Amino acid sequence: MTMEGTKSLEPLIKEPSTNRANDLDGVLQVIYESVADLNMQLPAEQQIGKSLSTILFGGGGKLDSLALANFIVITEQKLEESYGFRIDLTEDDPFSPTTGHFRNIESLATYILELTAKRPSRGL
Amino acid sequence: MNPAETESTGLKLHLISDFNLETLGHYLANGGTSPQVSVSVAPFGQVFPALLQPAHAQASDFALVWTSAEKIVPTFPNALNGVAVSEDRIFAEIHQFADCLREAQKNFRAVFVVSWTIPLHQRGNGILSLKRQGLRRLLLKMNLKLAEELENCASIYLLDGQRWMEMVGKTSYSPKLWYLTKTPFHAEVFRRAAADVKAAMSAVLGASKKLVIVDLDNTLWGGVVGDLGWQNLRLGGHDYLGEAYLDFHRALKGLRNRGILLAIVSKNEENIALEALARHPEMVLRLDDFAAYRINWNDKAANIVELVAELNLGLQSAVFIDDNPVERARVREALPEVCVPEWPDDKTLFASQLLELDCFDSAYATLEDVSRHDMYAADKRRQLSGKEVSSAEEWLRSLDTEVTVEELGDADRVRVVQLMNKTNQMNLSTRRVSEQELQAWLQPGNRKLWAFRVKDKFGDSGLTGILSLDLESDIAYITDFVLSCRVMGRNVEKAIVAFAVQYCAGLGLKELRASYLPTSKNKPCLKFWMSSGFLFDETGNRFTWLLNEPYPFPDGIKIHHSHHKGASQQASTPVLRAGQDASLAVFSD
Repeated sequence: MTMEGTKSLEPLIKEPSTNRANDLDGVLQVIYESVADLNMQLPAEQQIGKSLSTILFGGGGKLDSLALANFIVITEQKLEESYGFRIDLTEDDPFSPTTGHFRNIESLATYILELTAKRPSRGL
Repeated sequence: MNPAETESTGLKLHLISDFNLETLGHYLANGGTSPQVSVSVAPFGQVFPALLQPAHAQASDFALVWTSAEKIVPTFPNALNGVAVSEDRIFAEIHQFADCLREAQKNFRAVFVVSWTIPLHQRGNGILSLKRQGLRRLLLKMNLKLAEELENCASIYLLDGQRWMEMVGKTSYSPKLWYLTKTPFHAEVFRRAAADVKAAMSAVLGASKKLVIVDLDNTLWGGVVGDLGWQNLRLGGHDYLGEAYLDFHRALKGLRNRGILLAIVSKNEENIALEALARHPEMVLRLDDFAAYRINWNDKAANIVELVAELNLGLQSAVFIDDNPVERARVREALPEVCVPEWPDDKTLFASQLLELDCFDSAYATLEDVSRHDMYAADKRRQLSGKEVSSAEEWLRSLDTEVTVEELGDADRVRVVQLMNKTNQMNLSTRRVSEQELQAWLQPGNRKLWAFRVKDKFGDSGLTGILSLDLESDIAYITDFVLSCRVMGRNVEKAIVAFAVQYCAGLGLKELRASYLPTSKNKPCLKFWMSSGFLFDETGNRFTWLLNEPYPFPDGIKIHHSHHKGASQQASTPVLRAGQDASLAVFSD
C-alpha cells in the first residue's frame, strides 16, 4: 500500500544479481579472469590454461600451495565484485586432497555453484 | 660488473624478509619488465642473520629488505596492543636494525628497504591515533627515524610501502593469505612493489629517462592552434579542461625543475605554434622551458631522432607523450628505444598520469641535475656562436674553455659515481660501480681517479669528465675514460688524454694504454680514440701511447689543477696551456 502521490519504492530496490552465480558460464568467466591474473606472476612453464579440464592442484597440477592460495584470494575477490556478496572458498581445507574442490577448473566451478546455492535468499 | 654480462644475464636481487616474499619474487622474475632480474630469497624469518652473514651477498647486485615492524622492533607489539611504550626504547631498536643494514650495504650495489606499514583496517586509537602515544603517529615517527638513520648511506634507499597499500586499498592486507601461507599482502601489492623495485634498480643503474617530448595540440592545450588561433585554445580560465591542461604544464615544469629536459615535437606551422607559446596569457610553459623543438609537418619519429641527436642524448633517454594513438603507435614501432606510455583520452588525467610515471626516478640529485636545463640553454647559445665563425677550430678557440682537474674527493663522489653509471656514449669501459665499490677499487696505492670540470664563456657544465689510471710497473692503464655528452666534441677529450700522458710521463712510465670495451652505445668513444693518434691494436681493441713521445695539447683550452684544501681554500694551479707539450710539463700533485 503506497501513500497517494508517492511512487512505490519496490522497483528501486534490487535483489543482488544471482543470475551470474547460478550460471556456469558466468562462474567460468570469473575463474578464467582469475587465471589470467594469476598467470601474470607465474613463469611460463607454471602458467595454467583456461579449460574445464585444467588441473589446478594435486597430482599433475602446476600450482603449488602459494600459487593456489593467491588464486583463491583473487577468485574470491572477483566473485564478490561480480555477485555483490562474499564467498568463502576455504570453508573446507583447500590443500586437502580428499575434498577435491581445487582439483581442476570444473570441480572449482561446481564448488562455487554449490556454495552460492546454499546462500539464504535475501528478504525485503 | 662487466656491462656485457649485465646485458646478457640480467641482475641478481636478494630478498630478505620475516614473511613469505615468494609472490614478490615471482613478479620480479617473471614480470617481463626491465631490468631483467633473477631472484634469490633468504631463509624465511631470518632477517638479522641474512643481513649480517649474507650467504648470497657476493652473488647479488641488490638486496630488498621488507620487514614487519612488530618483528624487527620488539617493543612495537606493545603499542599495537594498547600498552604505552617508550619512544627512546623503540628508537634504540631501530638504530640497531639500521646498523645491520649499514653492515649489509657493503655487500651490495644498493639495498632497498621497505618502510613499515600496518593494516589499513587497524584503527589503533581512532581519533587519538595521531596524538602522542597514538599508533599511527608512532609508526610515522618510526619510519622517519629509520629514514634519518639511513640518510647518509648513499646506497640504501627507503621505499614507501604505505603507497602500495593505499593504491590497492582495503584488500591490501589479506588475512586469508597470511593464515594459509604467511603472506600478509594481496598479490596486487606485490605487483605494485615489483614495479617500484624495478624502477629503483633502473635509477641506480643510471637508466632513468632524461627527456620528455610533448606534442602540442590536444596535449599541451585543448584544440588545434592552426584552426582556432591561440586566443581560442582551452588553457586555464574558468574551464575544467583548461585547468586540467594547466596542471599538466605544472607537472611538466616540476620535472624540468628536477633536471628532466622538455622538448616539443608537433605537426604545426612553427610560427603559429611559437606565437601561442609566447602570447597566450595563461601558458605556464614558455619556449624557454624547452631545450629543443621540431614544429613542422614531418614524420614525428624522424623529428624525434633529429631532436635527440641535437641534445646529444640517446633515444633510450626519451619519453614521448602525444594524445594521438596513431602518432604514439608510429613512434613505438619506428623507435622502440623511446618510451611511449599509453596516454588517457580523458584530459583530466594528464597530470596524474605524468606524475605516476616511474621512468624518471633518479638515485641521485646533484647540482648538475637540477641545472641541466640551464646547461642546455647555454649549449644552445654555444652552438649558435659556432655559426658566426668560419671554422670549427676557430669556434672551439672562441669558447675560452677551461678544464679544472681534481683528484676524487668526498664532495665529488656522488657525482662521479652518477656520471660513471649513466654515461654511455663517451665511455671507454662502461664500468658501473657503487660508491663502496669505487672506494674499494681506489684502496691500492697504484690507482688514481680524477674528476674534470668544464666551463666556457657560455656557462659552467660542471663535473663532466672522469679519468682513472691503474699503474703497473712501467705501464699505465686507463680504466675509466668518461665524458658527459654535454661536453663531447669540444676537445675536452684530448685535454683529458693530454693530462694522462703528462701525469704518466712525469712518473717516468714507458707506456699509456687504453682498452676499449664495445657496447651497443659507445661507438663515439671508439671514434675518438681512433682519431687520438694512439697506436691501435685491433686484436685487443687496445690503444697505446709511448710516453717518450710528446702529446699535443688542444688549442683553446686551459687546464687547471685544483687541490683539496676545503671548499673555501681550493687552490687552482695552471697545469697546461695551449700548445704546450703534455709530456714535457712537470706535473705537481
